[in-house]
Amino acid sequence: MLVKLSLTSMRKMFKDYLVLLFGLTISIAIFYMFQTLAQNKAFVEANAMISATMFVFHVGTFILGFITIFYIFYATSFIQTLRQKEMAMYMTLGAKKSKITQLMFMETLFIGLISLVIGIIIGMGLTTVIADVLMDMLDFSAEATGFKAIYASSIITTVIFYIILFLLTSMVNAWKIGRKKVLDLLQANKQEDFIKTSGVKTFFGVLFSIILIVIGYYTMIHMAKLQYIGVILATVTIVPGTYLIFISFLPFFVKKLKQNRVLNETGINSFTLGQLRFRMLNLTKVLGTVAMLIALGLGAMTAGFSFYHNVELQASKFQANDIAIYEPTKEDMKTLEAMELTEENTYRYKVIGNGVFFLKDSLLERPPLVPHTGDEKGVGMEKLADIKIKRVKEKLPAPVYTMDGTKGEELPDKWWNAISFELNADDNMFGERTIYVVDQSHYEKIDTEEKQVIVTKAADFSKHLSAFKQLEERQKRVAESYVGHPVDKTGGKYNNYVGLKSFSSGTVFMGIFLGIAFLMMMASVLMFKLLSSAGADIERYHMLRKIGVRKSLLQRSIYRELFLLFLFPAIIGLVHVLIGMQMFSFIMVEPYTKIWLPISLFVAIYGLYYVMTVQLYKRIVLPKQH
Amino acid sequence: MTQAVLQVNHLNKLYGKHKETQYHALKDVSFEMKIGEFVGIMGPSGAGKTTLLNVISTLDQATDGSVKIAGTDITKMKQNQLADFRSQQLGFIFQDFNLLENLTVYENIALPLSLQGVAVKQIKPNVIKVAENLGIQDILPKYPVTISGGQKQRVAAARALVHEPALILADEPTGALDSKNARSLMETFVHMNENLGTSIMLVTHDPLSASYCQRILFIQDGQLYKEIHRNHTRSAFHQDILHVLSEFNTPSEW
Ligand SMILES: Nc1ncnc2c1ncn2[C@@H]1O[C@H](COP(=O)(O)OP(=O)(O)OP(=O)(O)O)[C@@H](O)[C@H]1O
Ligand SMILES: [Mg+2]
Repeated sequence: MLVKLSLTSMRKMFKDYLVLLFGLTISIAIFYMFQTLAQNKAFVEANAMISATMFVFHVGTFILGFITIFYIFYATSFIQTLRQKEMAMYMTLGAKKSKITQLMFMETLFIGLISLVIGIIIGMGLTTVIADVLMDMLDFSAEATGFKAIYASSIITTVIFYIILFLLTSMVNAWKIGRKKVLDLLQANKQEDFIKTSGVKTFFGVLFSIILIVIGYYTMIHMAKLQYIGVILATVTIVPGTYLIFISFLPFFVKKLKQNRVLNETGINSFTLGQLRFRMLNLTKVLGTVAMLIALGLGAMTAGFSFYHNVELQASKFQANDIAIYEPTKEDMKTLEAMELTEENTYRYKVIGNGVFFLKDSLLERPPLVPHTGDEKGVGMEKLADIKIKRVKEKLPAPVYTMDGTKGEELPDKWWNAISFELNADDNMFGERTIYVVDQSHYEKIDTEEKQVIVTKAADFSKHLSAFKQLEERQKRVAESYVGHPVDKTGGKYNNYVGLKSFSSGTVFMGIFLGIAFLMMMASVLMFKLLSSAGADIERYHMLRKIGVRKSLLQRSIYRELFLLFLFPAIIGLVHVLIGMQMFSFIMVEPYTKIWLPISLFVAIYGLYYVMTVQLYKRIVLPKQH
Repeated sequence: MTQAVLQVNHLNKLYGKHKETQYHALKDVSFEMKIGEFVGIMGPSGAGKTTLLNVISTLDQATDGSVKIAGTDITKMKQNQLADFRSQQLGFIFQDFNLLENLTVYENIALPLSLQGVAVKQIKPNVIKVAENLGIQDILPKYPVTISGGQKQRVAAARALVHEPALILADEPTGALDSKNARSLMETFVHMNENLGTSIMLVTHDPLSASYCQRILFIQDGQLYKEIHRNHTRSAFHQDILHVLSEFNTPSEW
């Protein structure tokens, strides 16, 4: 009999159950998605730029598992608040408590199992799609790297984790219902969430949170110098600082807003702010957690994108010029003509026997550009951004120079760099030959045909990737003609760029992938926490309607209230990320390149959840119109 | 001649959709209420009292007939007009207080004024005036959870009163109060009625509460059954009410 009743009421509340199902499905899909990476040790280790990546994944699994537990409790308690009165009714009608408890247990478990099946299927789909898009974007192939969207070990982990979790939540929920008195359940919505804020405590809370955050930010900005201590210091200041902001600063802020009479006593503002204030007091921990995870998720994503966009910048900090073209052909010249060049120098050289002879005068006429590191004091790690591209200044007074100084003078450092990295006169190009820089008289004595090398730089390197690829192919053949056997690659910027890119794309992939997973999870935690307290608001909205508040005004109040609740953690998370990106300045030239991209992605995901939450919330609390 | 605050003409209310079994909750009800009158509505359970109040308060729509409040026919209004009308012309007091517990007493009372866009400068004096009238000026900064049931009911009354509505509607406001608080609330109503000239319509089951009214309308099976006026003392009126109630065939039901 009770089972039948339960089924009927589940059917009646079908839409609400759909919400729960949806939430659980998302959580499972994301957990699965995460596991496809975390469990694939071979992939992670082969593709990570940072050796500690596997450790990061273990921590990630732990954090995600932890959030998931909270999440499931929020999600199920959302449905519970909707069912409480009905359960109490059965009890007052004489249904046994044990029977109700059993019913509640079965319901939760049932929903859980359905969502597990759907969730894993969606998880596979989502993983495939996201992985495909990202890998395509990054020129990164799944087969080659061993990434699998459908991965048995992840399925098993997900299933086991969630079954345990569902058993646990079903038990706790059933126990919670069982423990309550019938009267409490009947008056489920009347509980008071009344918290007093004392002035002194708030003041110190606010002060302390600001101090902590400022220290944390300072540490992150100077991470290159502080290194390991910095990581620890930033963690122990920013995490508690963030929570403190939500515990003391924001309630204080809303209270101040409320004390502004003109604001508070206009229209429905007093109600909106009242809701906000009480919400805030209940949500401090959730909002703090959400802010931290936004910071982590968005941070991972931004770092990922940033790595990707920095590859070219990075490559151009190692090499000032884009390519050195030995023995340029007509075809090469035509390719160059099609580009907008900012630098084009022609140097002359001769190759004879075991020597390569560059003409000093041609080099000095217009010396090549080389990267100059900033201060050479060598404190901590150098910021890539401090590297300046300048022309070599040193004069070359001696008649004969060689790279190592064995025959003639040794080349000054900057010239050495210029010859080996800008002119690429290295083993790959000339094999075992000795590289000389000689004056006019020595040069003329060498009895062989003179050749030319063009050292050049395009205005926009990434616009002409395919052209550079072709040019480098040709250089390989030139190199082979000098060396006499097949050559892997020459040392041009294009080759370094490709190398760096494939090196970082694994890290980029993981960063973006994880970032998206975290953000989706985060926003839905907030959504469910908000929805689970919606039940208590139903009467308030009914009452407002009775005293004649227009529906449109009620809706506006809901939009505003939820908007602010979504906004606060987003802002704090975003600021954390913006400051936190400074930490990467030692491996990235411009940590903020194209930062709008991850931020818009974040805003899109987060905004979608906001709109969804408002719609669902409206459906729960707004009175139905006749 | 005093003007009418409320005119109800041939009011009918049917529950249920056309083809289903319909329930005729109000049958051809007509009556008038003058400005400044204090009218009680009594009748057995299921007689249609709440239905009548809901139709008058524009929360529910009449099937047929007209309701005029302060000269305006509310049966022809649209949703938003109705909401505005409620917020300007009507004050409500319900059995379960219906205070917003996330607002202070002050904010609860001020809400109808804020909603109407009354200038912030004028809100405070208005709230304080009505609070003094009802003897709750000391609890203004408190939250509803921290005040007593009787105080809550007076706060609800203050909120219903603060924007000086044409008509106050109360559905069993003493239902959840003990007899001492019930009496105190009824005295508040009388005070509002006599000193502020407020028109009040009160639905009640309690003969003692009803005896504070000037006139009682009795409803049975959705129809007006009888009407009595208070001519002498309150206790005499109480006796009259009890007398009418005993005439109903099933007094045990209520
Ligand atoms: N929404 C509804 N749908 C169908 N019938 C309804 C509805 N609301 C009330 N009724 C019926 O209309 C009749 C009058 O109901 P109403 O609530 O007005 O009675 P009442 O006089 O207020 O009773 P009580 O003293 O118990 O509050 C009742 O028989 C009730 O069953
Ligand atoms: Mg009733």
